[in-house]
Amino acid sequence: MPDITLILAGLFLPLFPLSMVFNAVFDRIQHVALRCLLLIGWPQIGLAIIHSSDFTASSLPTWFIIWALATSLLYAFRMLSLRAVGQWNSFLATSMWATLWLSSSNTSQEMQQLYAFGISAPLVLLAFLSAGLEKRFGAAYTGLYGGLAQSLPRFTGLLVFIVLAAIATPVFPGFFIMLKLIINSSATMPLATLALLGIWLLWSWAGVKLLQGLIVGTASQSEVTGVNALKDFNLITSWSYALLLIALIVSSIYLTGGLS
Amino acid sequence: MMSKLIILIISLPLLSALLTHLLAGKLGRCVARISVTATLLSVLLSASLLWLSLSGDLVGESISTSPWSVLFYDPLSILMALVIGVISLIVHIYSLRYMAEEAGYARFFVLLDLMTASLILMVAAGDLLTLVIAWHLVGVLLYFLLGQDTRNPSAYRYAFWTFITYRIGDLPLVLAAVLLFQAYDTLSLPVIFEQLSQNPTAHEVFGLALPEVIGILIALAAFARSAQFLLHTWLPYTMEGPTPVSALMHAGIVNAGGFLINRFAPIFANTSDVLQWVFIVGFISAIIGSILMLAQNDIKKSLGYSTMGQMGFMVMECGIGAFSLAIYHLIVHGVFKGTLFLSAGTIINKARKSDGVPKDDLYKFVVEKQPASTPKSWLLMALITLVVPIAILIISHLFVSADYFQKQGAIILLFFGWITGAQLIFATYRTHAQNLWRLLLINVFSFTVVIIGYTFISHAFDVYLYPDAALREQLYAAASIEKIRFDIIAVITTLIIVASWLFTYYAERSGKIIRYKGRIWITFYALISREFYMTDLYTLLTRTILSASNKLNVWLRWN
Repeated sequence: MPDITLILAGLFLPLFPLSMVFNAVFDRIQHVALRCLLLIGWPQIGLAIIHSSDFTASSLPTWFIIWALATSLLYAFRMLSLRAVGQWNSFLATSMWATLWLSSSNTSQEMQQLYAFGISAPLVLLAFLSAGLEKRFGAAYTGLYGGLAQSLPRFTGLLVFIVLAAIATPVFPGFFIMLKLIINSSATMPLATLALLGIWLLWSWAGVKLLQGLIVGTASQSEVTGVNALKDFNLITSWSYALLLIALIVSSIYLTGGLS
Repeated sequence: MMSKLIILIISLPLLSALLTHLLAGKLGRCVARISVTATLLSVLLSASLLWLSLSGDLVGESISTSPWSVLFYDPLSILMALVIGVISLIVHIYSLRYMAEEAGYARFFVLLDLMTASLILMVAAGDLLTLVIAWHLVGVLLYFLLGQDTRNPSAYRYAFWTFITYRIGDLPLVLAAVLLFQAYDTLSLPVIFEQLSQNPTAHEVFGLALPEVIGILIALAAFARSAQFLLHTWLPYTMEGPTPVSALMHAGIVNAGGFLINRFAPIFANTSDVLQWVFIVGFISAIIGSILMLAQNDIKKSLGYSTMGQMGFMVMECGIGAFSLAIYHLIVHGVFKGTLFLSAGTIINKARKSDGVPKDDLYKFVVEKQPASTPKSWLLMALITLVVPIAILIISHLFVSADYFQKQGAIILLFFGWITGAQLIFATYRTHAQNLWRLLLINVFSFTVVIIGYTFISHAFDVYLYPDAALREQLYAAASIEKIRFDIIAVITTLIIVASWLFTYYAERSGKIIRYKGRIWITFYALISREFYMTDLYTLLTRTILSASNKLNVWLRWN
């Protein structure tokens, strides 16, 4: 694989500092639909570039794997101190997509594309919720208002599930993808396995921190019952999100979990 | 029949969680009855399964066409499913009224049901992936149960400590599962155990035999879940959660470490040094947990450290090869600790009316006009203290098994029994009761009943959980050290115990009680009152990490 193609792929399956491009673009784009397109399409472009060339797993140099892991670790670590939900979303995307480089050996193109989609799907849902927060509060920011569990119970319930899905909790796609990556790396790169486990731990930490900054605390009485009460999701919206999550779980179990 | 039962036992709480969530709006607080009924049914089915198992049909798997989602019904999973079900049922019933005034009533029962299902799934997992999923989910669900009161940031702060410690513990289990899968190309636990027992040294990792590496990883996962030293700080601080959750956590969830070590017993049986380290970690945790428990002035925090100590003992029992005893211990501990938590409120109420501090001798003599007791010979009392407990222990164990004392683990357990019995007699002596001999006789009789009961029940557990005598022997052998080293340690320990009790009685009688004054005592007190600065250290570490993350973001302009 020519180096320039590799570098180009490194822009879309983001490797630091090329990853800064994606994060800057994501930050600039405020429209939720465009953000979702970016989340779905960006890694697929990277995978398409890789597979359009005569790439073989053995042609990927070790330093490239180290670079991918370092990028993932860097963004996972940086997520710990983020307060903007949108930025948290893009950093998690960067950290997760970078790990896809490890799936390049003994994983088919279709499977890799499925992995990328499995990672992006909860992030897309989170982008919608982030937009919902911006609409209600003017900003999607942790620690700014808090108490969402009281003022927006349905919204909070969905937020919890989507964040859990995003940080690779069982039985969402990220969980099975991480297991596959760990299995792949453990045979040939034990240190990469340990790095993946560390990255996974940082995602969990960052996810819980995000949730605590949003849902915990006391909402003002007017936000809960007053005339300025915040508008929670209606039943139809809640069920739509819930069905999407159920579909995500079922497809995750059957497609990435191998329960078929 | 049995495979359908085990599936039903797990499905019932899951179904109940779904129904409780869906019907909460229509049924209001009555919705909790669905949850209680489902748990009750699950318990009844577990009891039936145990009955069938005791009737002879011992081991099997649920039918599954996939490589995972296999349920396993061996004696260990059947017994643990019943224990989890019973504790969960008690917590459910207690919560009906206890949580009635709390917000998120239905959510609480949904979480309780999901936790019950996850715990039963964990103990019944017949493959690595199902085990890892259930193990992981228990940590996530516990986080939300502890943070039931979403208005309370403090509850969430400590729930986070629990969550992150559990996640740290998840990782070694994942790694162990991956290594086992790589080596044996199957997820099935029975198949892995079978292949491993045929040729334990067939695979190596980092130059070590696979069982050694897996043993270490499983032990680490168990340490995090069972609050062993260095991974214990979350346990005493999770008291901001609802009392029923504390009861469930201390009675059921922290015990998972003991279960995990038992589940992987066939692997530990093929290790050479791991169990000795498990013993040392358990021993340190037991000592530190017990010391810190005594230094607390908050009843729930004291119970938290007591659990740490008990978990230390449980892990220590695994470390000496007495795996089934650890299961017996975790069941008994679950029952008594659950009772203590659920009655903590009543005790606090009573303490407000009466401090319960015993009156001293002078008060009894002057105010209550009770004559002072006649002093007994200190040497005689010391000899009774040393001889009676050990005699009872040896005789009761000889009834069970003649070769019992050939096992090093059994000797270590005898030491603990001996110290406990001696402590009981000394405590009786120190009451300075009027009729000391009568009181002593009653206490020794109680001790004898407890020891006989314990000996026979633990033997029954051994036979039921590990029907294969060869595996039992193999576990004791794996936990053993070189005979000469063990004998020297045993003799020195015996001398220390004998000398200590003689000195204690002499000092008590002669009034030469050592007063620990000066810097050493103050330093030690500062250490235990600050809980060995462990929490401060972890808080500092966390702040440093978060600060470094923030600085990095600023430096990289948040992109």
